[in-house]
Amino acid sequence: MAETKNMILNMGPQHPSTHGVLRLILELDGETVVKLTPDIGYLHRGVEKLGENLTYHQFIPLTDREDYIASLSNNLAYCMTVEKLLGMEVPPRAMVARVLLTELQRIASHLFWLGTFGIDIGAMSLFFYTFREREQILDMFEACAGARLTVNYFRIGGIAKDLPEGFEKQVRDFIKIFPERMKNDYERIFQDNKIVRIRTEGVGIISKEDAIDLGLSGPLLRACGVPWDIRKSNPYCGYETYDFDIATGKVGDVFDRYLVRMEEMRQSLKIIQQALDRLPGGPFLADDPKVCLPSKQKVMTEMESLIHHFKIVSEGFEPPVGEVYHSIETPRGELGFYIVSDGSNKPYRLRFRPPSFVNLESLAKMAEGKLIGDLVAIIGALDPVMGEVDR
Amino acid sequence: MTEFIIIMLVKMFVIFGAVMLTMTYITLAERKILGYMQIRPGPNRVGPWGLLQPIADGIKLFLKEDIIPDNASKAVFVIAPAMALIPAVMTIAVVPFGPAVTIFGRPIDIYMADINIGILYIFAVSSIGVYGIVLAGWSSESKYSLLGGLRSSAQMISYELSMGFAIVGVIMLSQSLSMVKIIEAQKGVWFIIPQFLGFAIYITAAIAELNRTPFDLPEGESELVSGYFTEYSSMKYAMFMLAEYINIITVSGIVTTLYLGGWHGPILPPFIWFIVKLFAVVFFMIWVRATFPRFRYDQLMTFGWKVLLPASIVNILLTAVFMTVFGEL
Amino acid sequence: MIKALAEGLSVTLKHMFKKRNTVQYPEQRREYSPRFRGKHKLNRNEDGSEKCVGCYLCAVVCPSQCISLQAGENEQGKRYAEWYKIQMGRCLFCGFCVEACPVEALDMTGFYEMSCYGRDGLVYEKKDLLVPEIDSFVKTKI
Repeated sequence: MAETKNMILNMGPQHPSTHGVLRLILELDGETVVKLTPDIGYLHRGVEKLGENLTYHQFIPLTDREDYIASLSNNLAYCMTVEKLLGMEVPPRAMVARVLLTELQRIASHLFWLGTFGIDIGAMSLFFYTFREREQILDMFEACAGARLTVNYFRIGGIAKDLPEGFEKQVRDFIKIFPERMKNDYERIFQDNKIVRIRTEGVGIISKEDAIDLGLSGPLLRACGVPWDIRKSNPYCGYETYDFDIATGKVGDVFDRYLVRMEEMRQSLKIIQQALDRLPGGPFLADDPKVCLPSKQKVMTEMESLIHHFKIVSEGFEPPVGEVYHSIETPRGELGFYIVSDGSNKPYRLRFRPPSFVNLESLAKMAEGKLIGDLVAIIGALDPVMGEVDR
Repeated sequence: MTEFIIIMLVKMFVIFGAVMLTMTYITLAERKILGYMQIRPGPNRVGPWGLLQPIADGIKLFLKEDIIPDNASKAVFVIAPAMALIPAVMTIAVVPFGPAVTIFGRPIDIYMADINIGILYIFAVSSIGVYGIVLAGWSSESKYSLLGGLRSSAQMISYELSMGFAIVGVIMLSQSLSMVKIIEAQKGVWFIIPQFLGFAIYITAAIAELNRTPFDLPEGESELVSGYFTEYSSMKYAMFMLAEYINIITVSGIVTTLYLGGWHGPILPPFIWFIVKLFAVVFFMIWVRATFPRFRYDQLMTFGWKVLLPASIVNILLTAVFMTVFGEL
Repeated sequence: MIKALAEGLSVTLKHMFKKRNTVQYPEQRREYSPRFRGKHKLNRNEDGSEKCVGCYLCAVVCPSQCISLQAGENEQGKRYAEWYKIQMGRCLFCGFCVEACPVEALDMTGFYEMSCYGRDGLVYEKKDLLVPEIDSFVKTKI
C-alpha cells in the first residue's frame, strides 16, 4: 500500500512577495500548513561586531541600514542610548524636531507597509497611491538631511543641521492633504471591500496571553487588545507632553492589525501638528565640547573649537564605564539598544534588539494548521524587515 | 460553389488576422489602462504611446531559448499549449461581428458561420481548453506547476457550471441557441434588462474562467510563482498567453451578443457598435483587475458552488415565472 | 456590499484622469535639494589654489575607510594633499567627511550618475574630484 507523505515546499529566499530574504520551509498536507520553520541569516552583515571597532560617532550611519524602511527611528534609538550613557541633556529645539521627524518617519513606514500589503493580497493599485504620499515625506527628509532612505540626521546631542527654510510649509501642506487622501483613496478602495474582509478577518489570530508570552511588541501586540506603547509607558524625548491616543484592536487578526496601523497614522499626524506648533528656537545641538561637533564658523575662527573638533573627529569621546539599555517605539515595535562601555572610545559590546526578529517567532504559532493562502496575508501583516532580523 | 469557398477563405483570413492583431494590442491596452489607473503612463518608450510594444514582446518571445525540463514527459509537454490555444481560436468562428454587408454586390455576413447550436458549440469547445491546463501542470514535473494546474482546472470546471446555467435564461427568452438569432431577438430591449442577475453571474463566472483577478490565485499568488506555466518559455509560453487573450476577446464577444444587444444601436454601422461594446466589456475586465484583491482558493470554490450556482438556478426559475406571467416576449 | 465594490471601482477610475507624476528619465531629471549627498568635490580658494590642507580628518572619520590621501608641501611651503583618493564603491554617502573638514574643502554635490564598467572606474582621484575652474569662495553652510 502506498504511504502518503507530507509535501515539503520551500518558500525560498528569492520570492515575489516575502519581505526581503526570508526563507520558510513549509510542510504541507494538501493545502494545510502542518509545520513552518523560518530560516534567516541571508542578510547578516555583522553590524554588531563592526560596532566594536568604530567610535560612537562613526556608528550612526550603520544604524540607518538595519531597519531601512524607518531609518530615523534607528538613529533616534542609538543616539538616545548613548546620551543616556553619558547623562547628556538635549536642547528643546532638537527634542521637538526629533519627535516631528520620527513621527513623519512612522507615517512613511506605515505607508510603505500598506502598499506592499495591498500587493500581497492582490490589490495592486493601492501601492501607487500610498507611494505618492510617501514621496512627499521623503522629499522633506531630503530637504533636511540630503538623503531619502538612509537619512543619518540625528547626532549624539541633537540633530546634525538646523531645519531648512521652507520646511514648515512643506509639513503644513502635507498635513492638509493627508487625511483626505487616507479617507478617499486608501479606505474606499480597501477597507470596505468584501474580498479584503473575507481575506483578512479571522486570519492569523493570536491571543493576548500568547502575544505577551512570545514577547511581541508594536502593532501586533496592540491589535490583540493590549494597550502597550512605549511612548506612553516609558516616555522619552518629551512624549509625555503630547496629546495622542493608543490604537488598539479587539480580536488580534490581520484586519485588526491593518486598522491599528491606519489609526496610528492618524495619531502621528496629530502629534506632528502639535510639534510643529510648538517648535522653539535656540540651539539644535547640545553644548558639550567633548561630544558634539562645534559649528563651522567657530572652527574656522576659534582655536579652542578647532582643537575640540580635531579631538572629537579623530578619537571620539570616552563615556564612563557602565552599561545601558534604552528602547523606543518604532513602527514595527520595541527597538532597543544595549551598550556596554569599558571607558574607551569604542563600545565594548553593542547589541541591537530588533522588533521584527522577536515578532517573527510568532509566525509558526499563527500559521500552523491554517491554509497556505493565508500565509501570505499573515506575513504581510507581520511586517518583518529582514535588515533588522538578520542585522 | 467556388465563389462560396473563396468568400469563406477570405473571411477566414480577415477575421482570424483581425482577431490576432486586436489581441496583441489588447495586451498593450491592458498595460496602458492599468498604468493610467495607477497614476503612471504605462509603456511609452517603444514607439509613440508604446504602439510597437507588442511587436517587441513578440520578437523577444520568439528569440528566447526553449527549455524543456529533463524529467518532463516530452510529448505531453509540447502538446499542452496547443491544446489550450486551438479551442480558443476555434470559438472565434461563431462570434457574430455584424450582419450582412453588401460588398461588390454580394451580401457577406461578418461572421464565419451561423450554426443553429452556436452557444452550445462555444461551451463545448472551450471546455476542451481545460485539458491544456491540466496536462501542462502535470507534465512539468514540478511541485509548483502541479499545484497550479490542479487548482486552475478545478476552478475552471466549477465556474463553467454557473456559466452554463446563467445563459439558460437568455436561451429561454430568445427561443434559440444560434448566436445570430439571439441578437435578432434583442431588437426591442437588450437582454441585460430582464436578465441582470444572469448578466452579473455570467460576467463573474467568465472572469473566473479566464483566470483573471480577482480569481487568479492559480497564477498570481506568491507561493505558486506562475502556476501551471512556470516551466514554459519562449513560444509555448506565448501560446498560453495567446490563448488567454483570445479567450478574453471571445468571452467579451459572447457577453455582447447575449446581453448587450449585439450589433443593435442607432446611427453608427452595426459592426462598429459590436466592436465598441466588445471593448467596453474588455475595459471593464481590466478595470476590475486594477481594483480588487484576489480570493483565497477555498473561498473561491465556496463562492462558485454555494453562491453562484444557486443564484443561476434561481435566475432560471425567475425567468420561467416572468415568461409565464407576462407571456412570451 | 455592491456599494463598496462600486466605490472601489470609482477610486481607480477617478485616478485615471489625474495628472501622472512620472519623471521621464533620462529626458527629465528630478530637482534635488541643495543638501543632497551625491558625489564629492574638492573646492578651491579665490586665487585658484586648492583649499585642502591634507589634515587627514576626513580619512579618519569615514566609517568605511574609503578616503586615502598623502599630505605634502608645495613650493610656497604650504601644506596640501599630494594625492587624494576616494573609493566610491565603499562610500556610504553619509556626509561625515564633509562635516569633519575644518576648512570646508570637501563638499557633496547633487551628481549621482556614477556607473561604470569595471571596479577600478569607481576609484576617484583628485583630478575627478577637484572643481575644474576657479570656484567662488564657499560661504559657511549651516
